[in-house]
Amino acid sequence: MPVPGKIIHVSGFLTVGILLLVILLSVQGFISFKRRSKNKNKAETPDWSIPTLDAYADSTSFFHNWDPAAKIGSLFPYCFLIISLKSPFWCAIALIVSIFSIFFSNIAWQRGLRRLAAMSGFLLMFLLIVPFSSPARQGETVLIFPLLQSLPFHLSGFLLALTIVLKAFAIALMIEPMLGTSSLPLTLQGFSRLGLPQAIIQMILLTHRYIFVFQQEIIRMYLSMRVRGFTARTDLATMRTMGNFLGMLFISSFDRTQKVYEAMLCRGYHGIYPTFALPQTRIRDLAKSGLWILLGILLLVLDRVVPVLPL
Amino acid sequence: MHQINSRYREDAEQDGHESLFALDRLSFTYPDGKEALREISLSIRRGDHIALVGKNGSGKSTLVRHLNGLLPLQSGSLHYQGKTLDPTLLADMRLNIGILFQDPDNHLFCNTLYEDVAFGPMNKGLAREEVDQLVKRCLADVGLSHLIYKPAHHLSYGQKKRAAFAAILAMQPEVLILDEPTANLDPKQELIFKELLRAFQGTLIIIDHDLLFLYDLCDRAVVLADGHIHHDYSFQELVSQQNALREHGLDFTFRFTCCGNDHSHPQTSSHQHHHHHTHEHGGRDSHTLIADEKTPILELQHFNYCYPDKTTGIIDANLIVKRGETIALVGENGAGKSTLAACLLGLHHGEGFFLFHGEQLNQDMRRNLWKQVGMVFQNSADQLFCPSCWEEVAFGPQQMGLSKKEVEMRVAEALNNVRLSGYEKRVPLNMSGGERKRLAIAAALSMQPEVLILDEPTASLDPQSQELLLGILNNLNMTRILITHDMFFIRELSNRTLVMHQGRIIRDYPTSTFLADDHLQDINGLDYTYKSHCLDQIMDLQYHNGRKHTPV
Amino acid sequence: MHISDGVLSVTISVATYALTLAGTALSVKKVRDESLPKIAVVTSAFFVASLIHLPLGPTSVHLLMPGIVGALLGPAAFLSITVGLFLQSILFQFGGLTALGANAIMMGVPALTCGFLFKWIRGSSRMSNTLAGALVGGLGTIFAAVLLAVFLFTSGEDFLGVAKFALVAHIPVVIIEAAVSAFTISFIYRVKPEMLDWKNF
Repeated sequence: MPVPGKIIHVSGFLTVGILLLVILLSVQGFISFKRRSKNKNKAETPDWSIPTLDAYADSTSFFHNWDPAAKIGSLFPYCFLIISLKSPFWCAIALIVSIFSIFFSNIAWQRGLRRLAAMSGFLLMFLLIVPFSSPARQGETVLIFPLLQSLPFHLSGFLLALTIVLKAFAIALMIEPMLGTSSLPLTLQGFSRLGLPQAIIQMILLTHRYIFVFQQEIIRMYLSMRVRGFTARTDLATMRTMGNFLGMLFISSFDRTQKVYEAMLCRGYHGIYPTFALPQTRIRDLAKSGLWILLGILLLVLDRVVPVLPL
Repeated sequence: MHQINSRYREDAEQDGHESLFALDRLSFTYPDGKEALREISLSIRRGDHIALVGKNGSGKSTLVRHLNGLLPLQSGSLHYQGKTLDPTLLADMRLNIGILFQDPDNHLFCNTLYEDVAFGPMNKGLAREEVDQLVKRCLADVGLSHLIYKPAHHLSYGQKKRAAFAAILAMQPEVLILDEPTANLDPKQELIFKELLRAFQGTLIIIDHDLLFLYDLCDRAVVLADGHIHHDYSFQELVSQQNALREHGLDFTFRFTCCGNDHSHPQTSSHQHHHHHTHEHGGRDSHTLIADEKTPILELQHFNYCYPDKTTGIIDANLIVKRGETIALVGENGAGKSTLAACLLGLHHGEGFFLFHGEQLNQDMRRNLWKQVGMVFQNSADQLFCPSCWEEVAFGPQQMGLSKKEVEMRVAEALNNVRLSGYEKRVPLNMSGGERKRLAIAAALSMQPEVLILDEPTASLDPQSQELLLGILNNLNMTRILITHDMFFIRELSNRTLVMHQGRIIRDYPTSTFLADDHLQDINGLDYTYKSHCLDQIMDLQYHNGRKHTPV
Repeated sequence: MHISDGVLSVTISVATYALTLAGTALSVKKVRDESLPKIAVVTSAFFVASLIHLPLGPTSVHLLMPGIVGALLGPAAFLSITVGLFLQSILFQFGGLTALGANAIMMGVPALTCGFLFKWIRGSSRMSNTLAGALVGGLGTIFAAVLLAVFLFTSGEDFLGVAKFALVAHIPVVIIEAAVSAFTISFIYRVKPEMLDWKNF
């Protein structure tokens, strides 16, 4: 049985304070959520908007002027170096690097924020559960809250959850400079030069294009349901209608596959997408890549040699 | 490749008409057993301009898909330039034949218009500079130069249609096959197509129901019925024989029989001669509402709507809809007609006064507006989502919480109204376009709304289905708002016309005044009269033909 | 639920990536060349379908649909899911890029399994197809949730609590998935039964 090094009994006063803070924050979150959904109610359909990944591709910056293949070829492995980090401190440094990257890539910071919001639910689950459920470690600090004597709050668990959040944020923010600074076709050609087969690249491009077509389709279909009185509830009738709705969507997509394929054949498609040669990777691109990989390795080495706040 | 093409053309011009396609007793049956083509024998000569016409489902699309080798040869033979199709010839042939299907989204499968238009030329193996020039020229031809690096989903329907056309033209095809190129387009965009097609030098095959559009483009007409070629003669002959047109569901003259050229539609007595501002302006914002005994059903006053992305939808709309009226809503694509309809349905939440039966609309009323205002969307035939007709029509009444008996009654009545009685168990998706359209109308009718809005109800229906639809719409005794480009439906059905332009209602007058309004073209570039010239000529031909035949 | 970056251990991340690449390569080989563009178009429809949220009491859930994808695409399901998840990751940040492998396995393997299961049990009546739809819809989600729990647990014993929680949180989703899948399959069976034969690819 591992023995905790330090047991701190949190006073009732502090607990009430923390609880109040949590309640306040969640109330505020709830209000802003309500406000958002109220705005949503004004719109005719649920929020089915799809962001344009390359909306900021027509700009210049360190990242924009970096050949996509070299950029992805170094930033992608860099992401894997980030997930190997262990200490919360160096994860925080990685997050700062990402924030700077997004800042220097001339991309609106709201886009980064939206990415963070998209994973907040999943990460919150870790922040709330891991500290209470992680196994006891020899010599760690444990907080005991009043009324929760049987559920000690492990500081090591909390630090672990924090590390996860920091790493997830750092990598999510890196996506914008990595994939949002060239037009999507160019970005994907970058993947292809790194060895991903053309067939897959073309599939991704086609899928991306038709997402927008089907988005329009479900909006139209949803509206025609709305004007006939459909509202989504938690009941069997809603599920039946949604089942029909999805069935309709899939049937029309299967019909469309044939038609798109025929339209491609008619314009001379014979299994390969025609492409023109892309500009060559320059020394400067490779130098950037080398620097970035070095940065990642440096973070990893520092993480292992100088582990600030280790678990 | 390019040079070879032009040499072919010169050859063709030299020795007149040489056979390009020779079809001999071609038959085709779909895997589900549907016999689409029966013993088609047809010779298409270089330089022919063919109108391929017939009812919906008569085999036109199937025939066209053979010409491009998209469907395998089942029986009979098909020769292209005297040769049978083998894989090498097929690949070569596809590069020489441009085919434009109905849905432009199927043609635009890349992530920028540039790539879409470049796809064909690149497959032809053209050099980069040549491709670049072609792409830019073709997109300029259809008026889309400013959108060259945009993805197709940023475009409106009409723009997509033009982009798809540019993608076909960029292949510099020798043969151009178009399937209903101008369905759902406003007259202005239709004109872009027409002019490009007039300038096209090669062989042209157009499938369309709109004989007026085809009139000065085609010189030969091939009429299909039940997978069979019924007639193959000059276009002049086709349009001059009303009986033949009628037989093939192509007779669009039902539209004129009642009207004549100097049309004066009898106006109903309830017609209101009001202009833009129907309410009294006492002071700046004092809208004193006079509750007369005939309170309008819907009323908009200084109504504005902005899209969430801040683009303006509706600017300062003032509108009164009275019981029993039929209002036509016209305007160029993107003028705000559909947006206005969405506002009237309560789907869009605009600013300003929206009075329903004289009462300002509140949140609760807006939520229940669907019970009183019915809508049949554009493409509504593709928005049916139930596995049977009965369920489709019953959906609305069921959502209204009506009793089983009442639902039964309403479904039966609505299906009867659109002449679909007996279709209760049929699967909507497997019905024809015209039938689905009527089903969509029945699905709105069963809710017995006070106002029914119809968005482009006639688009891509064959004339026979249109005539049926006209009869159905004529018999509805509810207030109707009709969004359409179709002059004849406006003339037949409406007693009042609203003209929209750039989000504003710029005209609100009796339909008869609208029909005589020559100034509209200057405002929104829409020429609603340009077809009347073709029409006059066709009527003339039919008249002479009729005189020739009646004495017998 | 998609796994975000930073949760999985590096070993699991890299291993699942390798497995996914192998699975995708196998999938590409298994289908006809001309099917690839078609699978891409269908994938868009699945992508869009996963945007749809169904209300569940005060919150809402979006559909995962591994069962339906499997039933409709058969052997091509894994490829479709990988492409779809890649786009979800880069467009919405649903699932991290470094966890793409794990997410693809988590959804793709249940889809493949359910696909074959569906083919095996669906029978030839509308009732049996509907029931089979419900079964694969529910099982697919359960299977995905179990895989999620396994991935979490193998990444560190600290995640046992989260793994348990994730399993429990999936219970209402399983019910909704089963019901919606049943209706979807029933609709397709009535309207276009040949879609359930995998002949398209």
